[in-house]
Amino acid sequence: MADTANTGTANIDVNVDQKRKEAYFTASQGTLIWTRFKKQKAAMVGAGVLVVMILSGFFAPFLTPYDPTIAGRDPDYQNGAPQIPKFWDENGFSLRPFIYTYERTRSIKTNFRWVTKIDKQKRRYVVLFPQGDKYEFLGIISFRTHLFGVDEGKIHIFGTDGTGKDVFSRTLHAINTSLAVGTIGVFIAFVLALMIGGISGYYGGWTDSVLQMGTDSVRTIPVIPLFMALAAFIPDTWSSEQRFFFISLILGFIGWPTLARRVRTHLLTERNQEYVLAAQLCGASAGHIIRRHLLPSFTSYIIVDLIISFPYMVLSETALSFIGLGLKDPVNSLGVMLQAVTSADVLLNYQWYFIPVIFFIILVLAFVFVGDGLRDAADPYADTKK
Amino acid sequence: MTKPLISVKDLTVRFKTDEGLVTAVEGVTFDIAPGEVLGLVGESGSGKSVTAKALMLLNPDNAVYDPEGSITLNIGEEQIDVLSLAPKERMVIRGGAVSMIFQEPMASFAPAISIGEQMVEQLLIHSDMNKASAKELSIEMLARVGIPDPAQRFGQYAFEFSGGMRQRAMIAMALSTKPKLLIADEPTTALDVTIQAQVIDLMKNLVSEFHMAILFITHDLGVIAQTVDRVAVMYLGKLIEKGTVRQILRKPGHPYTQGLLHALPRLDDLDAPLTAIKGDIPSPLDRPTGCVFHTRCPVSLGAECQSRIPVYTNTEDGHQVACLLVEKEGAPA
Amino acid sequence: MSEALITTDDLSVHFPLRGNLFGPRPVVRAVEGVTVDIERGSFFGLVGESGSGKTTFGRALLRAAPITRGSATYSDSEVTYDLPSLEGAELKEYRKRAQLIFQDPYAALSPRMTVRDIIAEPLEVMGLTKTRAETDERVRAIAAKCRINLEHLRRFPHAFSGGQRQRISIARALVSEPHFIVADESVAALDVSIQADVLNLLKSIQQDMGLTFLFISHDLSVVAHVCDHVAVMYLGRLVETAPTRELFAGPRHPYTKALLSAIPSLDPDDQGNVVKLEGEIPSPIHPPPGCKFQTRCRFAIDICRKEEPKLGGLGFEHDVACHRWQELLDGPQASVADPA
Repeated sequence: MADTANTGTANIDVNVDQKRKEAYFTASQGTLIWTRFKKQKAAMVGAGVLVVMILSGFFAPFLTPYDPTIAGRDPDYQNGAPQIPKFWDENGFSLRPFIYTYERTRSIKTNFRWVTKIDKQKRRYVVLFPQGDKYEFLGIISFRTHLFGVDEGKIHIFGTDGTGKDVFSRTLHAINTSLAVGTIGVFIAFVLALMIGGISGYYGGWTDSVLQMGTDSVRTIPVIPLFMALAAFIPDTWSSEQRFFFISLILGFIGWPTLARRVRTHLLTERNQEYVLAAQLCGASAGHIIRRHLLPSFTSYIIVDLIISFPYMVLSETALSFIGLGLKDPVNSLGVMLQAVTSADVLLNYQWYFIPVIFFIILVLAFVFVGDGLRDAADPYADTKK
Repeated sequence: MTKPLISVKDLTVRFKTDEGLVTAVEGVTFDIAPGEVLGLVGESGSGKSVTAKALMLLNPDNAVYDPEGSITLNIGEEQIDVLSLAPKERMVIRGGAVSMIFQEPMASFAPAISIGEQMVEQLLIHSDMNKASAKELSIEMLARVGIPDPAQRFGQYAFEFSGGMRQRAMIAMALSTKPKLLIADEPTTALDVTIQAQVIDLMKNLVSEFHMAILFITHDLGVIAQTVDRVAVMYLGKLIEKGTVRQILRKPGHPYTQGLLHALPRLDDLDAPLTAIKGDIPSPLDRPTGCVFHTRCPVSLGAECQSRIPVYTNTEDGHQVACLLVEKEGAPA
Repeated sequence: MSEALITTDDLSVHFPLRGNLFGPRPVVRAVEGVTVDIERGSFFGLVGESGSGKTTFGRALLRAAPITRGSATYSDSEVTYDLPSLEGAELKEYRKRAQLIFQDPYAALSPRMTVRDIIAEPLEVMGLTKTRAETDERVRAIAAKCRINLEHLRRFPHAFSGGQRQRISIARALVSEPHFIVADESVAALDVSIQADVLNLLKSIQQDMGLTFLFISHDLSVVAHVCDHVAVMYLGRLVETAPTRELFAGPRHPYTKALLSAIPSLDPDDQGNVVKLEGEIPSPIHPPPGCKFQTRCRFAIDICRKEEPKLGGLGFEHDVACHRWQELLDGPQASVADPA
């Protein structure tokens, strides 16, 4: 019984076409989603940017010249403007990029205010792979090599803040921290959502009603007052890492209701599908059905939900840290960095403090584009009905 | 000879999709005379729904109508070229002179507005009646289609009607504007057979009372036999056979039509085997060259059927078959 | 007479609805008091329109719908099961022997599993094979029987047409080598030309594997061609049952007569003795008293409105549930609504 009786089709290169068709027929869900995703330019750009940012956050200690905490500060260059390496000035061209030397002096003449003087004659050259502040990777191996540095003194391509900490170093480390907090938060929210939403959706009935009441009550808790209360409870003795995990934990516990509701809705619909009944009629256990039929069916939706939750987590953490309820110095996050921009002094004089904001916006936008693209690509089975 | 009510010539409809330009309907030509019932028969992928929707320009935005084709509506003295109607002018073909009823009446009625309100709305758009007379006419139409207690039903919602009654209400709504052509897209497919019999009866009575033409689209040859005057058979976007209902059912010319009839379980001959047409309907992405049916045809002439597109051969008066074998032998296979 | 594989006695399936706070909860009597025997090796047709309860009955026999009252027994040459009380391991055993083929070929296959996995799933869940090689072999064997191209086993359902998907569905139902198959409107969603193909496949498999089929359909013409015995249901009740030829040659129940005459004939000149059925099917929550068909029956008299008729024998395995079937044998012109 031939069911590919396409002997008369007008295909010029039958072999090529057959391969593509076969690829389409045997493509798993992941492959199909990826193919559709690739067609969307905005999403691909977003994905690229996201990858770059994640990598730069992960390799931040290597990519940045200095330790972002107090330990790496430059006391001679506080509130300093960004130092952009040059190749050319009135003294001639140089193959190696360089910056000028700065000197800080204080004297009667300047009314005892610190004043920075630029010495255009003394150049300091940028070097690659210098040895610098120590850092650790994954808490195990320590290195001293950084990507770039300067032969004498320090280089601050994004400038410094009030205590002399390098803004560039802080920015990249902050991306890492914010992403880490976001990941842990999303992970916790996801696990809780899967469990609660899963039980709710699969069993329905009374279980569902009770769990939904619980979910809704959690959702109605106002976030800011909750955090203020919790922030008051955090003992000062906690280390910054402990504080970090605690904040992530809280974010996760606040974030799960929305995700749980989505999981539940998906399951409630999917469990009435006929193929689920077919599996039940074979005697399949609830676990088997969830694993092999239901979970794969909503993986595509859940991935989208996860990606979209990320920016919310990052935003929440930033907002909280900004008002002082989240992370604090020396743990560096975008929110912590933004704390410093609230004074008029900064707005008028030290505009480079805002550079992290640009990174932050790009990060959130990248997540949103990728999430949107995934959402559009995510249902490859939508057009198979007659 | 009177002018046909609607004249379709060489209609070709393609759709822009991710996979390219897909041909749904190709070179379809037929006429419907005023007061005539034409049955459009085909299976999935035949393009019958797309053809019907083309008459009212209801296909989705990615539809591309080939400029070689034309749809001409003759109402009284006026001649309307449907394919060139600007969006604002399309009202005449949508609910005015041409009306449509669908397969799923639940999906065709807005769930949050009462049936009566929707009927009145339709009348207010297409005529210059006032609300009171529109309401009166609507209740009258509901009674005419056999809905008991029409005045009360007027204010009810779609979910309060059963399947059969919803379909009747749909017919009432479609007929209240006294269209010249009613397009019925699988109107009885979703109904139980006893209800289907009632609805078919109703439609036949209305045809004679309103002197209206019907384009009856279905895959059910039994319904066709009892309802229509003439039949057009479609396969994969092409109209492969046309004729009166007796010609098509008693002396089918095209191998596909013959295959369809042999595959049907008949109550008058319980011993006859059910013969399937071999193979599967090709996907529209994979339309065969030459004769679209040749890949499944039991009497295919091989290379010739693969390369030449058959044209119509007149086997009897008014009976046309598009088949190379019929062309050669002048008679059905 | 061959033995019955499935025997039911007064089988009822009721679904309670949410009631208000006062008064008894309304109940949908989807299946009510069905007593029927399905012989081993038969192709038993169950027909009815929407609301007849035929799907629910089929599912109840597979324990996919709860049995509220009555008994149902499964008995093949090896085991006998009392269906309402089956649980646990016994229920799993029964599931190996009784399977379901669904109506909608698009919804019945898990879109994210390959065809091979879909067909293999019953084997894996029921633990019928020990090694992957064994599973593969059985999958290939049944796929070949169902005329599925073996090279397509690694494809996903989205690659297939409706008819092909239905064949995959059939293969899945057959892979555990059951004895009893419930085919629930299995060809209703298919095009006519494909329908014939799938029906022929089902018949050939039945003969090949010695299966018993319960073929549920609303399409009487299809049932007439493939089934050897037919039962007609209306509003959850069995109104007539007979061997196919017998039923179609001489239907006794007014509903069966109306059903048969409502089928449009393929002959344009044959208007037929169309017994017009007015009205709609009554609500299953508040059915009329007495005979459920009396609201639409031209021949309904007093007794029909008071007392529900029992399924009675005419002999030759032909049973009818109607008070007046004897009188009506004289032809349709016999006393319409005779108040006697």
